[in-house]
Amino acid sequence: MDFSLPEELRMIQSLVKDFVTDQLKPLERELLGRAAGLADARRSLPAEVDEKLMGMAMELGLWGLSVPEELGGVGLGALGCSLAEEELAQTIVPFTFGDVSPILFECNAAQKESYFLPLFNRRKDCHIALMEPGEPAGRADMATRAERVNGRYIINGRKLSFSVTGRDWFAVVYARTSGAAGDGVTCFLVDGGTAGLSAGRGPADTGWRSQVRAPTALTFTDCSVPAGAVLGQEGRAFHLGRKWLPSRRIVRGARAVGVAQRLLEEASTQAQSWQSFGQFVSRRPDVEAALADVATDIHACRLVVHEAACQADEGRLTRRGAAVVKVFAAEMLGRVADRVTHVFNGPSYQEGLPMEQLCRDMLATRSLGMAMELQRSIITRDILKGLKV
Amino acid sequence: MPQRIQVDVSRIEPVLNEILNTKSPPVARCRLLSSGFSPAHALNISENIAGHKECLGCGNCVDICPFLFREPYRRDRTEQRTSMALESTVGQDCDQCYACVLMCPQVDTTIKHYVVNRRLVEVMSRLEQRIGDEEEPDLDLLVEEALEM
Repeated sequence: MDFSLPEELRMIQSLVKDFVTDQLKPLERELLGRAAGLADARRSLPAEVDEKLMGMAMELGLWGLSVPEELGGVGLGALGCSLAEEELAQTIVPFTFGDVSPILFECNAAQKESYFLPLFNRRKDCHIALMEPGEPAGRADMATRAERVNGRYIINGRKLSFSVTGRDWFAVVYARTSGAAGDGVTCFLVDGGTAGLSAGRGPADTGWRSQVRAPTALTFTDCSVPAGAVLGQEGRAFHLGRKWLPSRRIVRGARAVGVAQRLLEEASTQAQSWQSFGQFVSRRPDVEAALADVATDIHACRLVVHEAACQADEGRLTRRGAAVVKVFAAEMLGRVADRVTHVFNGPSYQEGLPMEQLCRDMLATRSLGMAMELQRSIITRDILKGLKV
Repeated sequence: MPQRIQVDVSRIEPVLNEILNTKSPPVARCRLLSSGFSPAHALNISENIAGHKECLGCGNCVDICPFLFREPYRRDRTEQRTSMALESTVGQDCDQCYACVLMCPQVDTTIKHYVVNRRLVEVMSRLEQRIGDEEEPDLDLLVEEALEM
């Protein structure tokens, strides 16, 4: 059993770490609005800064780490992506190395030119319109419908998107269709300016409220799209990106490790710089214990993630393995945020601190309560069907 | 290597059906219902084993099992390649495809003919249903994408 990382992956990890430390972390103060009394906090980076960072990432060969080589990316495996994501998650700056949802890896040649490449090169943004208001997330019996009329599809319904868009955008829309093979859900690529599609106003771009993530409502009223807008096959929307999606769950586990690592660093700094009753906070036994527990949790989670990532790269990843990563990483991050809050001796939503944004992200991962129970049931089913002895 | 005169299925049909209806690999119990080693066996040993019904440990049933093919880590839990190992590792997850019965050299041909003629027709529709279940996508992964992109 060899726990050492391959040389080339350690180089990428080191490159990403330097990029985050030198280029991204200095931007945090501006994003949090701490330079001007929190009033100018921003949800996203200014376009010119984003472009500059993108250019630097491209020069370093870090653009499109998770995107397959045939689509112009680096084509890194799950372990490489996990290492990069762990470093990238240690900053609150919303920057990715050209991350594109694997659903769009299934674009045909024309769609690749019109949608995938503009998204990959940040000329367009993308709304993933899967969920609907009032419906449990991802239910197969969705209300949005697409009727085939004269070789085109007419879409009607309402969708919610949690994606952040600022530029020209398009939507990946899931809608129910009726075809020769029966009812099914089909995926459509719809441009932002299409007649019949309207997007509700997103949250403010500046001010403290900009840190709060709210969905954008997309309304389709007799929105007509050509047959060429179908992504993949008709009725097979839920099968898109199946080759790549399971390992994304492992990478999300690595993101939790990165966030927890940053919270530990913040807590260590706080504990070493604050005094109470004539003593540094870090000398107090309960704070020492909290820091030790956090470090232990992070180490354990990192090993779980790395093992699953290796299995994914070797094609041995099981549903149970992926579920263990999701449950353990989300619960670990919750425990870490809780302990760090106590070290800070204040609530985790103190405005203007990186801890605030990190804890918000933590809550987002745990708020999918149903999803967590689903993962637990996957693990339990696998345990109970084991050896009978 | 069954004997020349093999078990008459009409006499064991109720218990055989009970075995085939149970959600567990049926090969070992079918072997015990069979006639056992023929006196013409080719094993080079001094003991007379004619009529014995033990598992040979050939591993054919383990190799053919579609469940162990889908979840090979279960197979890796033991080095054994016997029908007992098959029952222990597969348990109630058996697909009931009866491939193990057909592959076992110790099961009587009369039992195999019965399985092929009487049971495989109903097995096929059940296996097709199972293929459909495995095609079922993990919607949770898509929800995660929608929330995070």
